[in-house]
Amino acid sequence: MRILIVEDEKYLATEIKQFLEKEEYNCDLALTGTDASELIAINPYDFILLDIGLPDYNGLDLIKEAKDYNSEAYFIVITARGEIEDKIKGFDLGADDYIPKPFSLFELLSRIQAITRRKFNYKSSVIQFDKFSLDTIKKHLQYDGQTINLTKKEYKLLSYLILNKNRLLDRMQLTEHIWGEFFEDDYDSNYIDVHIKNIRKKLSKFNNTQWIKTVRGVGYKFEI
Amino acid sequence: MKKLKLKTQLALFNALSKAIIISFIVLIVPWLVSNITMHDTDDLLIQKLDKVTLLIDSLGIDNYINIDAELKSYGSYNILKDEFISIEQISNDTLIDIIQYSQREIENEIVDYRVLSYSIKENGNNYLIEIGKSISTIYRFEQNLKQFSLIFLLIIVSLTIILDLSVIQYLLFPLEKIVKKLKTTNHPTTYNYTPIKTSTSDFIYLDETIRSLMHKIESIFIDERNYISNVSHELLTPVSIIQSKLENIINESSLSENDMIKIYESKKTLRRLTNLVRTLLMMSRIENKEYILTEKVNINIVLKNVCEEIEDKISAKELDLKIDFDTSDFYYYGNENLLFTLFYNFINNSIRYTDKGFIKIETHKSKYYFTVKISDTGIGIKKEKIPHIFSRYNNSNVKKDSYGLGLSLSKKICDYHNIKIDVFSEPNKGSNFILKFPLK
Repeated sequence: MRILIVEDEKYLATEIKQFLEKEEYNCDLALTGTDASELIAINPYDFILLDIGLPDYNGLDLIKEAKDYNSEAYFIVITARGEIEDKIKGFDLGADDYIPKPFSLFELLSRIQAITRRKFNYKSSVIQFDKFSLDTIKKHLQYDGQTINLTKKEYKLLSYLILNKNRLLDRMQLTEHIWGEFFEDDYDSNYIDVHIKNIRKKLSKFNNTQWIKTVRGVGYKFEI
Repeated sequence: MKKLKLKTQLALFNALSKAIIISFIVLIVPWLVSNITMHDTDDLLIQKLDKVTLLIDSLGIDNYINIDAELKSYGSYNILKDEFISIEQISNDTLIDIIQYSQREIENEIVDYRVLSYSIKENGNNYLIEIGKSISTIYRFEQNLKQFSLIFLLIIVSLTIILDLSVIQYLLFPLEKIVKKLKTTNHPTTYNYTPIKTSTSDFIYLDETIRSLMHKIESIFIDERNYISNVSHELLTPVSIIQSKLENIINESSLSENDMIKIYESKKTLRRLTNLVRTLLMMSRIENKEYILTEKVNINIVLKNVCEEIEDKISAKELDLKIDFDTSDFYYYGNENLLFTLFYNFINNSIRYTDKGFIKIETHKSKYYFTVKISDTGIGIKKEKIPHIFSRYNNSNVKKDSYGLGLSLSKKICDYHNIKIDVFSEPNKGSNFILKFPLK
């Protein structure tokens, strides 16, 4: 899977690249809009991560351009300007997702995966463990064909942990994932813990394995 | 007092001044005309008298009055009884020279005359000469004139008023267009900059001035907005870099538990900074009127969405959520995102300061307001602190991780939407926040 990262901030761009390459994505960097424009014209990309606050280029123009050469590419728009207008314009021009700065790299990854599942490969949209199956398209969890009754937020939380299996997700990342960019300043409270407790209770009815591990003081990890 | 349009005022003034002038003319003209005709008649009578005295002088009074006759008088009138003349002998020798109205009976018919009476002395006798002219024709003329002038003037008035109105309408049309343009503009960026077509220099000047002012406001506005988004970009990009670096460190190396916690603490600090910047930006954007208040928002639905979003926080603290909404929906023109944030902040705030009991959300439509009431059984606010809870950095019961910005952001959203806030609170019993949406 080939990704173009268009980001004028070199340090941020390299961090994203480093993270995504570890996830075995093939990444190109463009630090200016002009570079991006050239790369888009000659290479086929599956994903384009686009910071629309470029100093030399109107990021939204870049989407239009890319639609000519890379009509198959999916766009995730990154912005620190936080302007609702940008968001709307971006979606109008065909952006597939929108993520405000600062963002968690795990969140970025989960957005990329979500688009991939949605648009490329429907088989990988169902994740199996034990007799459980998590359908990320229908958004439900089943055990041996029987649907487990999870609330919207419980599903969101559990699927995020499962999709990032064997990896530590801290409380803040989890909070951000289920509540989005609200003006939340009490992520440290026990809401996540309460949800996890409920999820564990619901899973243990079917299988007593402790899938969700607590990492003291930081967060949780789904271990398979 | 009701304010009138310039056009209407001009038309009213025009019609009124004309009506006054016209009624004045209608009253004065017949009087004037009758006076003039009367004067004419008098002149005529005097001329005739001169003729008669001349005749008497040359022919002698005997020619008219038979001295031997018993009735010493002479009289003559024409067939239509328009005029008459009479000479008679009188006994007293007082001098008579008057013109007056008088009724005379001629052949059993009473006729109104203007009569000139004049006494002369002839051959030692006194004679009275009377010359009369019928005034019934004058009367009739006066009546006709009155009627005619009234009708004529009414026609003239209505014609001129119609003409005036269309001229005023035509002349003031550019002004009306300018006013309409201003009325339909709620933001300098949406102002229609096409010049108005007019030949009136004042309007051209007015239009140009407004346009140039609008341009200035617009450019200030755009500068401000760019400044805000640049500041936002400048502040949030470094935060983003640090956050990504920290995440890569956690992701790539096997850290000790302690190091992990330290990194997590740093991330939390970054998050605090992010929230602070975002809240301040939102406030600047509201101050800069960047949000357009044209969405038709169903308040009950927004509250329901907030409740859905927040209900697990309530159940996590084992509180009860009580909901009592007005059965009829209420729509308010505003910005749905901002209103969502507003309710979210208030309800979230109530949850934060309530450890047992309930959170209650009510809506109620009354005569002047749609009211949203958020009440809790939390720690409450001291009476003397209530006036300060909405000012920045002045939170009365600051908990950790609270910057006192949430409520001042809420206040800004309320002011921006023209929503009134009432706060009632009693320490250790709970708080009531009441939001009043005017029904316009």
